[in-house]
Amino acid sequence: MLKNFVPKRTAFGLTRFYHPNPKEYVPQLTLPPLLYGKDSKQYKILSHSLDVSVPEFGFNERAIVNSINLLGYPSSILSVIGSSNTPSFLHSSTALMELLKFNLVAKRYQLSEDIPLDTPVEELPSLEDLLIKRLKMDVPIGPHLSQLIAQLSIPGPFLTDTSLPELHRLADDMIYFSSEKDHPDFAWYAKRMGVSTAYMSSKLFMAQDRSPGYVDTFEFAKDKLKRIMKLGDYYNNAEEYAWYVLMNSINMAKSKAARG
Amino acid sequence: MLRLSSVSKVYHVRPFSVLSSLKASTAPKGGNSHKGNGSHHVEVKCENMDEAQRAYLDRVIRVDQAGELGANYIYAGQIFILSEKHPNLKPILNHMWEQEIHHHNTFNTLQLKHRVRPSLITPFWKAGAFIMGSGTAFISPEAAMACTEAVETVIGGHYNEQLRCLNNQYDLKRTDGSEGQSDEVKSLMSVIKQFRDDELEHLDTAIAHDSRKAVPYILLTEGIKAVCRTAIWTAERY
Ligand SMILES: [Fe+2]
Ligand SMILES: [Fe+2]
Repeated sequence: MLKNFVPKRTAFGLTRFYHPNPKEYVPQLTLPPLLYGKDSKQYKILSHSLDVSVPEFGFNERAIVNSINLLGYPSSILSVIGSSNTPSFLHSSTALMELLKFNLVAKRYQLSEDIPLDTPVEELPSLEDLLIKRLKMDVPIGPHLSQLIAQLSIPGPFLTDTSLPELHRLADDMIYFSSEKDHPDFAWYAKRMGVSTAYMSSKLFMAQDRSPGYVDTFEFAKDKLKRIMKLGDYYNNAEEYAWYVLMNSINMAKSKAARG
Repeated sequence: MLRLSSVSKVYHVRPFSVLSSLKASTAPKGGNSHKGNGSHHVEVKCENMDEAQRAYLDRVIRVDQAGELGANYIYAGQIFILSEKHPNLKPILNHMWEQEIHHHNTFNTLQLKHRVRPSLITPFWKAGAFIMGSGTAFISPEAAMACTEAVETVIGGHYNEQLRCLNNQYDLKRTDGSEGQSDEVKSLMSVIKQFRDDELEHLDTAIAHDSRKAVPYILLTEGIKAVCRTAIWTAERY
């Protein structure tokens, strides 16, 4: 009966699941959408790749092979790593697709892993803190960012099933784990779109940034976030104004009817 | 019954049996020695819900939040029109409105806590509900009550449907060998039960205040019921 409720598509990250209270359930074995947890070989190899091999080789299969060799695993494990991805003409290797996905998913989990769910609001980091924290995670792979962004945005299933949903999950996590006010109505969407935009434009800026330690990128990101959050205010004001107009017109209709 | 029969994506597959994770968390705590040993408290945990169960809860919270938002704005619309001309109705309407505000706030909290996305078209629900409330009140107080009667009939039925599903489909295995709903599912059920009873009380109030004398009664109530059913279908999905 319930199986009809599993959404068929994940396009644009709109498909979501109820987040249960983790205290009531046994710990999850994997880091969804990854099929493995932190203790797995896959996690060890891919995080080693990101830390050690990608800064040297960039985002390609050689980086993964290099890490497999350095960690002393048999080379056949390369096909295990890519096994969950459908081969695509637009991507050179399924293992590399997994590395791209891992880069997004693992870093998203790292962003909030030291923030317990019951943290009081006053002690939560600000939205800006989390945005900067996430951008700083990509400093070691800075020279390869253009290449990364290009591969993430190739039109096709990888973009709609992984890149975009991960972008929206990241924005969602940044709002949920920060002291930022959240909303029960349309502003929920406006804020997530805003944060996604701020993150993506900062990432594009970072790919071109040659300033020492990416100081310009962090300045750009703070400024961009402030301006976008203001836009969100504009939306809320517009909705309030629409209400004012509606009430007024009903009042006018009422008084007309009263006069006959 | 809850098994996913059509697995379209690889990551929908659960990598191990459900119970492997149960074992993983109980084993380090000393096997079964904790059973009957009251001196140190071992927390009982549930197996994880599967995607179908989580997707359904996601829908339940989104549609109920949108519904209570609508109810809140329907009463706001009725009061906006009726409070001057029919001050005798004001305390009754206010009482129902306050309950709707409480319902709405409760689901807002659940939506944010469990990271459910709200309905995409909330501005439309707000305006539509307000217009429906003020529009029927504009016709007559009886028409407003007929609107309440129709809305609460559909909502009460919908809450009952949800309760049936939560009751039947959420038996989770626990680490102590028992089976049943997790605490959060139980507490959601008691919230829904309470709200359903409130809605049925509103229904009785509406009938007591001459909803059935509204003209044109059948057209109004059937029309509004159809609108509500469409709204539920839409809010579950968008
Ligand atoms: Fe209600
Ligand atoms: Fe109600």
